[in-house]
Amino acid sequence: MTGFVGGAVYGLAGGLVIAVAALFGVWWERKVSARIQMRLGPTEIGPAGLFQTLADTIKLVLKEDITPRQVDRPLFRMAPLLVFTPIAMSLVVIPFAGGWVPLNTSVGMLFFVAVPSVSVIGVLLAGFSSGNTYATLGGLRGAAQMISYELPRTLSVLAMALLAGSLAPLEVMNRYEWWWTPATFIALIVYFISSIAELNRGPFDIPEAESELVAGYFADYSGIRWAIFMMSEYGGLVAASFFGAAIFMGGAQGLPGVFGVLLIFAKALVLITLMMLVKWTFPRFRSDQLLTLAWKVLTPMALVQLVIVGVILPWL
Amino acid sequence: MSFDAPTIVQIILGAIALLSAMTVVLVREIMRMAIGLGVFLLSVAGLFLLYGASFLATSEVFVYVGGVLVLMLFAIMLVQRSDSGRAVLVSRHDIGSASVALGLFVMLTVALQGVSNRFTGSAPESSMQELSEVLMGGRLVQYEIAGLLLLVALVAVIVIAGGDER
Repeated sequence: MTGFVGGAVYGLAGGLVIAVAALFGVWWERKVSARIQMRLGPTEIGPAGLFQTLADTIKLVLKEDITPRQVDRPLFRMAPLLVFTPIAMSLVVIPFAGGWVPLNTSVGMLFFVAVPSVSVIGVLLAGFSSGNTYATLGGLRGAAQMISYELPRTLSVLAMALLAGSLAPLEVMNRYEWWWTPATFIALIVYFISSIAELNRGPFDIPEAESELVAGYFADYSGIRWAIFMMSEYGGLVAASFFGAAIFMGGAQGLPGVFGVLLIFAKALVLITLMMLVKWTFPRFRSDQLLTLAWKVLTPMALVQLVIVGVILPWL
Repeated sequence: MSFDAPTIVQIILGAIALLSAMTVVLVREIMRMAIGLGVFLLSVAGLFLLYGASFLATSEVFVYVGGVLVLMLFAIMLVQRSDSGRAVLVSRHDIGSASVALGLFVMLTVALQGVSNRFTGSAPESSMQELSEVLMGGRLVQYEIAGLLLLVALVAVIVIAGGDER
């Protein structure tokens, strides 16, 4: 029975972590984008507008949970959770500290790339059940993009698994040496770009482009269900950044205890900020351009990285 | 028979798997069918996880839920123009398929009689390493041949799909 209780506690803690991370992430994104556009961003509520997103969340929770009349009701109500849950689950294999990972499994890296792929189903369902053309097209585009970028992302993670000789994220982090970062720089770039694309974030946000598809697959959502879509985007952002920091950049390795945790947080924050800078700097990719990028540029790059690692490996 | 935690989880997962499998067969709305299939695949992955076969469970989620089911959903969304209403629940094919299912059930029950008690423990955590040692060691030739076959199939698909352009 302790297993059930422990699992429930972990689940609640994970949900809380994602909620706080999403709150902070939205605030940080608004600040970063404001600086890029020579504005100040939120300033009124709390120090430097820190509680602005909390106020927004309270507003969203209090809003009426509208289900339009023409939608496929059960599927429509289920879809946001189907997007959110796998992304929340993927947090469980990330080593947040030197010797600690919530779930220490020998297939952790496979788990991290496999489980979020379930949320593609949620995206398709959201688009389908809304029953309008914008949402259906957005859902199809979003899903096509997500499964295309899964391949280079998996290959880039595979390069690290090959180098470390393990699929457990904690093992990979513990075996990290400083020259890994220059040797696997291509993999880091491929991972970075395909993570952005996998989250449907700008400049790869054509599936939810405001000007064309209103909001893509979640055009018909409002209130808390809309917020769950946004939360899964920021939860995915945090998960991808922490995983990247742990796998490609050595994570918390080298510093003991709390300092290690601070180190991995700093590295992840660098990745998060970079992703935001990319989003607010580059223009949006067209649908065909981003599929070309996935199949003709990123996948070959990831394969080249695999070859490089394969050449290095016998000399170690 | 003792009701410890793994047994209870197994019963729950088995019930979910059975119910979702029945959904796939009995529901006549194709999107619900696909979702039932997804739930079924996930509960089977859960059963794998329960027995410690974590690699198998993760692969099941990756390949079947994240790959095959998504492709099926794609096909459904691209093909289905309008919901054609509920089809009849009983058709003349049902007798044939029911007898096939019954025959399969009897066959599996007979075949698995001896082994049913063997899978009560859990696989060792190093199961993946053993698997890779088998695949990359003794079974290397078969593994490579299977890979070659899949590559040929992949090339064939590209040739067929791009054949019109010339």
